[in-house]
Amino acid sequence: MKKTLLSTAILSAALAVGMTTAQADDFPTKPLTLVVGFGAGGSTDIQARVLANVLEEELGQPVNVVNQPGAGGGVALTRLASNRDEGYTFAFGTSMTITYGPLATETAYQIDDFRYVAGVTLGQSAMVTGEDRPFGDTWEGLIEYARENPGTTYATQTALDRMIIEYIAQQEGLDLRIVPTSGGAGMAPLILSGDVDFAYSGGTHSGYAETGEMPVLLSLAEDRLVAFPDAPSMQEAGYDINPAEIRVVMVPKDTPDAHVERLAEALEAATQDERFIEITEERILMPVVYLSEEDVTQTLTEQTESYKALLEELGGVPGEDE
Amino acid sequence: MMPDTQMLRKNVWSGLGVTLITCWLLVWLIPRYGGSGMAFGMHPQRLATLGAWVMLVCAVTLTLISFIQLRKQQTPLFASPSFAVIWHQFWPFLYVLFFIGLAIYLPLTWLAPFIVGALVMLLGERRWYVVALVAAVPTLALYLLTVHLMRIGVV
Amino acid sequence: MPELSAITSAFGDALTLHSIGIIFGGVLLGYIVGVIPGLNRSVAIAIAIPLTFYMSAFAAIAFLIGLSKGTAAGSAVSAILLNTPGEPSSAATCLDGYPMAKNGQPRKALKVGLLASVIGDLLATLLLIVVVIPFAAVALKFGPYELAAILIFALVFIAGMAGGSFLKGMAAGGMGVILGTVGLDPETGAMRFTFGYAELMEGVPILPLVIGTLALSEMFVQLDEYRRSKDGSSIRLSNNPDDNLSYREFKRTLPTIFKSTGVGAFVGALPGLGPSVGSFMAYGLAKRSAKDPDSFGKGNPNGIAAAEAADNAVIPASYIPLFGLGIPGSVSAALLVGAFMIHGIQVGPLMLRDHPQMLFTIFAGMIVASLIMLAVGWYGLRVFARVTSVPQNIVIPVVIFLCLAGIQVQGYGTFGLLTVFGFAIFGYFLKKLDYSFVTFLVAFIVTPMLEMNLRQSVILSGGELSILLQRPIALFFVVATGLMVLHLSWSSYRLYRKRRQLTSP
Repeated sequence: MKKTLLSTAILSAALAVGMTTAQADDFPTKPLTLVVGFGAGGSTDIQARVLANVLEEELGQPVNVVNQPGAGGGVALTRLASNRDEGYTFAFGTSMTITYGPLATETAYQIDDFRYVAGVTLGQSAMVTGEDRPFGDTWEGLIEYARENPGTTYATQTALDRMIIEYIAQQEGLDLRIVPTSGGAGMAPLILSGDVDFAYSGGTHSGYAETGEMPVLLSLAEDRLVAFPDAPSMQEAGYDINPAEIRVVMVPKDTPDAHVERLAEALEAATQDERFIEITEERILMPVVYLSEEDVTQTLTEQTESYKALLEELGGVPGEDE
Repeated sequence: MMPDTQMLRKNVWSGLGVTLITCWLLVWLIPRYGGSGMAFGMHPQRLATLGAWVMLVCAVTLTLISFIQLRKQQTPLFASPSFAVIWHQFWPFLYVLFFIGLAIYLPLTWLAPFIVGALVMLLGERRWYVVALVAAVPTLALYLLTVHLMRIGVV
Repeated sequence: MPELSAITSAFGDALTLHSIGIIFGGVLLGYIVGVIPGLNRSVAIAIAIPLTFYMSAFAAIAFLIGLSKGTAAGSAVSAILLNTPGEPSSAATCLDGYPMAKNGQPRKALKVGLLASVIGDLLATLLLIVVVIPFAAVALKFGPYELAAILIFALVFIAGMAGGSFLKGMAAGGMGVILGTVGLDPETGAMRFTFGYAELMEGVPILPLVIGTLALSEMFVQLDEYRRSKDGSSIRLSNNPDDNLSYREFKRTLPTIFKSTGVGAFVGALPGLGPSVGSFMAYGLAKRSAKDPDSFGKGNPNGIAAAEAADNAVIPASYIPLFGLGIPGSVSAALLVGAFMIHGIQVGPLMLRDHPQMLFTIFAGMIVASLIMLAVGWYGLRVFARVTSVPQNIVIPVVIFLCLAGIQVQGYGTFGLLTVFGFAIFGYFLKKLDYSFVTFLVAFIVTPMLEMNLRQSVILSGGELSILLQRPIALFFVVATGLMVLHLSWSSYRLYRKRRQLTSP
């Protein structure tokens, strides 16, 4: 009796395996893994977990969230690039890791190692300053002040914003002192105490929108920021760069079309889901969008090209002497 | 109070070892892989080089002081431990490395009963139910933790 | 100042059966995860975050606060009993905890650790509530100059602890500095010693380093010792009459606890230093100010008390810049930001205005959590002290496995396993050859922070030293460091003279 049960089990398991390979459109037939390139508890992680909950309902299979922090999301992408899971493992991350990462450092992945299933959120990074600064809280004010005061200080967090500020300094003829700092938690004290004149902020400023302790000078998104409509965008301020961040879902490049389409469908539905919209727009304060694979791929490719051109103009990655 | 001979011997040899490693760091590794670039504040290699010099000075001093004291005691500089002793200290490392190698290809949860069970047996446990229990409980716990509590699947 | 009724009703909220139950759950989960070697706070967080999605805002935060306290206290248990700290900050607890447990006083060691951590935690919480939120802005006076000066001071201060084998301690510290510089250079973005591994870009991951150097290597050492003395465990939980903590002994550790709480609260209130700096500084201070510094590291209850009180005082104190300024000062504070975010509350100075009830309910919850921690720990130590009666040949394989599993569970992959293994070999040699892992670990933890702050200072000031005259706090710590160096060299010279007089006939 026992033996027959066991053999039935094995037989049906074998059948199940055979069926999955035969019918790809059944995807997904087993639990999926959503990789986050940042630690548990951060804003990317929280958003990813809500997204996983929503996707679970859309796809009808459990979606497990795995954190692989390190190198600003680079560790997770390095591992994803060599993943052969056919879409069962996918990553949620920010576009900077893909567009500027491979330019700034030697990475084991390139932009065309992945397929970008969809973009689901627009980043809201910005140039920010503190209260009661001599130049007020406008971008023109700052530029004027910095021209007159060589040694105006700027706190950088990422290689990308460092390149952008070097470019701006070159355009405007500024002599800035650029200070490195780590993350929003490192930047905030420098700005609040007035030790630094202005800084890059990925999203920390959203928390001070109400108190006005961290005014935004310049939006680094494609348009003006939702919470700070007074600050101009890069284009408006006269700089021909689009450093807009997109939070994207990606899979390795050899994932079958059918699987990518199924994931994209589920993601499109997720961007309509109340829970995902609430956590993103009301808590993290970033707008939810749905950008198709084509759109995202095109935007990211263009960004990479423009960064490359910028780097050539600047004569290499800032800081490295080559 | 005289520092005991064995410790002095250890100091001499470990000091010598650290000296050699530090020289290699200073001459080859740090200049080559320590990073380059124009920095306004500090050169990328500055702190690593500083650390290496601290090590070098300390290691050389340690070697000399211990060497002189060892000479004073007129004891031999070298006491070679028997092969059996070295092997006994060495095999646990090989054991763990072997399983890490396997973990590249297999999930750790599958290996778990063997990692624990085999070592328990190697350490002289012969009661089969103890071995089985000790091997099964951590495996089960890991499975519950990863699959049901953390929900990251079998690792 | 909010009126008293708000505070009392906040306590009312925190004292319902439901909320006590939730805090209890958090403490218990944290404690259990913390006790298991190889697993630590980030595992507990990964378990907890999905759970907190379905809780109310207060419940979620109370749960996470309980969790933080639970892991801190739990990781002290494995530090004392097995010499395998769960968190880097518990490494200071090992120094005296493990020798004490080995001497046949595991229960006493656990009790001192528990009481010290609860007292440190409670006092720092009270400090947070009563005094400091209005004064949180003081933390902003500590900019890069001040932090750099404090970190240098801490480094010199702790290096002085290397004690007997000063040279070996300094050499280990040098190694820590070198490893601490691995990763992207903060200013130029140059790769340092990464050899093409993306995993190394943000530095050697601290968890595999700590678990390898302290926990896994300890198992190799114990395997070696087990072979020598095959029968029985190295720690015996017999009915040692001296294995209970008397009130008088406890009273003698109180001054240390109070001082260490002060150190911990100070370090915690400054964003970016963290519990490891706090616990090692407090340990150093206790050793330095003791009448019998030589007994430290051999099982002095004051050593445990200092490390644990400071370690636990850092956590509530790190909420000061969080609630006062919106700056998360530690990992557990950053975790709370996430929890608040999920529930739509902006953490920062506006909390006192917009959600005063919430804020005071949280404070009340923190006090409740401390007391629950005392209860859980008190009963827990009776259970966990029995670990010492499990034969070594079972404990060692299980702990080795847990070390590997902890790394794998936290997503470090094969790279993490090899890192752990590499540092286990390194730690094995440190232990066998009697090099201080304290100076190594502290140098490793402090170097990246120090480098960042030094660079910031140099760039901001344009390289002019005269800036120190405008920053009196930084100047104070620079002078203090100078005096410390003089004091250290003077006392080691005296020790040298004394030794010579003793040895020369």
